[in-house]
Amino acid sequence: MLIQGQMMLHVGFGVLGILLAVALFVDVLNVSEKNMGRIKKLSLAVAVFIFLSYLFGGYWYVVHYGPDRAIIKAGQWAWAHNYFMEVKEHLFFLMLILGMYLPIAVYRNAPLTEKNNRNLVLGIAALIVLIGLLMEGAGGIIGKGVTMGLMGR
Amino acid sequence: MTNTKMEKYTAGFGLSLVVTSLLNAVILVLKETNDAVMDTMKAALGHHWTTHGALVIALFVVLGFIFSSMKIGEKWDSQKLLKYIIWAAIISGVVIAGFFLPNLKST
Repeated sequence: MLIQGQMMLHVGFGVLGILLAVALFVDVLNVSEKNMGRIKKLSLAVAVFIFLSYLFGGYWYVVHYGPDRAIIKAGQWAWAHNYFMEVKEHLFFLMLILGMYLPIAVYRNAPLTEKNNRNLVLGIAALIVLIGLLMEGAGGIIGKGVTMGLMGR
Repeated sequence: MTNTKMEKYTAGFGLSLVVTSLLNAVILVLKETNDAVMDTMKAALGHHWTTHGALVIALFVVLGFIFSSMKIGEKWDSQKLLKYIIWAAIISGVVIAGFFLPNLKST
């Protein structure tokens, strides 16, 4: 149960990071003095949640993924590991540093009411959401790969 | 296009994001095509992926402070930086996704 819990924390923190990046995107579209404080908090929360997702996912991948990998590679969806896991584990680093950069762009790149500054933050948030959704999709395919391997077909 | 000065850390860490995302793809290709690199990365922190992640984070932070001290913000604006970040993300993503494409055919 502890192992499954770690995986759920990885996915859960990742989803929260994506959702809060969407919330930040909308807030930045409507930026004003009133919501600037919330935008700053959201940028920090996105960075923290993505980093936590990296830590839990990374630990699970290094310590517990081996048996799952063997099951996937023995099944008909071997490409779920050979392609999607390989791409996911390396593309995640891009999302990680985008998440680390987001609070810098929000806190230091003032004022966000200036169009170019606002667009920079919007672009970073959009990239996080896009790559995050790819990560979630790839995770689903990898999970299905384990199911296919266990079904033996 | 207006050329508004950027704050030094926004510019420096933005450029670091561009360079590090490209280096992430380079490190991937290097370790997957060179056994010596892969073995060194495995030996460094016990798993090649752990070492890869630590390298990416360290590069982003160190390059960020180096670039921040180079007054890039006086030459760039946010629009130019965003363009570089998007292109770096596309190139890095295409290299990573493209590198493993043969794995789809072999299984």
